[in-house]
Amino acid sequence: MKRILNKMFSNLTVGAITVAALLPVVTLNAEAANPQNMLAMYQDQSGTQGSATRGEKFFFAKRAHSNGETVSCTTCHTENPKATGKTRANKLIEPIAPVANKERFTDPAKVEKWFKRNCKDVLERACSEQEKADFIAYMLSVK
Amino acid sequence: MMGINKRNLSILLATILGSSFLLTASWGSSGDAVFAAVTHGPTKEECSACHMAYPAGLLPARSWKKMMGELDRHFGEDASLAPEVASDIAKYLTENAADIPRGTQMMSRIASGIPGNSDPQRFTETRYFGYLHDEVPAYVWKRKGIASKANCTACHTKADQGSFIEREIKIPKQ
Repeated sequence: MKRILNKMFSNLTVGAITVAALLPVVTLNAEAANPQNMLAMYQDQSGTQGSATRGEKFFFAKRAHSNGETVSCTTCHTENPKATGKTRANKLIEPIAPVANKERFTDPAKVEKWFKRNCKDVLERACSEQEKADFIAYMLSVK
Repeated sequence: MMGINKRNLSILLATILGSSFLLTASWGSSGDAVFAAVTHGPTKEECSACHMAYPAGLLPARSWKKMMGELDRHFGEDASLAPEVASDIAKYLTENAADIPRGTQMMSRIASGIPGNSDPQRFTETRYFGYLHDEVPAYVWKRKGIASKANCTACHTKADQGSFIEREIKIPKQ
């Protein structure tokens, strides 16, 4: 019994050390995310440079949704990336441009979550990695 | 055939008055219009991203279950979440839904107004909501400051904390 307990304890210790060793890495990654390296990540994934010009066009492009509405990124984010937007349910959206909102593009999971949702809502398809790079490049160019 | 005489008329009036009294008495005053504030972290965070985090007690468990199973088509928008986050939120919502046995009086009134074979996705389409808002005329609903029936906080100033009591109501003038 004692041997079993000892073994369990040592396994626990090893486990705790492993977790402790992994933690700083995970935290550092989360801390390190910023608009510049998120842009770099999407550029890597798409193999192209992000273009602020293309991103701007993308942001303002209006399209006819299959539900009959005319939609665009600006429907909710407004035509000014530095302004506060509004969801369809009337809730405020903090500005999308990093210059006006330091939280933007600093959480990779959040960025992916919203690209997935909003690309589907506006374009009715997923966005390409290049479109994501362009989008961030444009947002970074807004001063 | 009965002609309209005084006696018939008074019976008719009494019937109308009586039935309207019964209708009112069926649910009575709104009572304690306070729901538990959404304290569950992921529910609060995810559900308040686009609208206020509605109290779980506004809909029965079967409604929440349906909603959490089709988040990719959430009132015409994609609100999809990672499966583990969605099921965590679904657990909280169903465990605190209108039809739980230990619910408040208001929760059981909401639940009792919903037919067992339906799973409404909007509280505003339930009978109890209609009962509580029957004095709000259509033109008020159309005011810019309200915009949508889903916009509770437009009039119920503390709705986002789960409180809908009468004295906190402030209806936008336009």
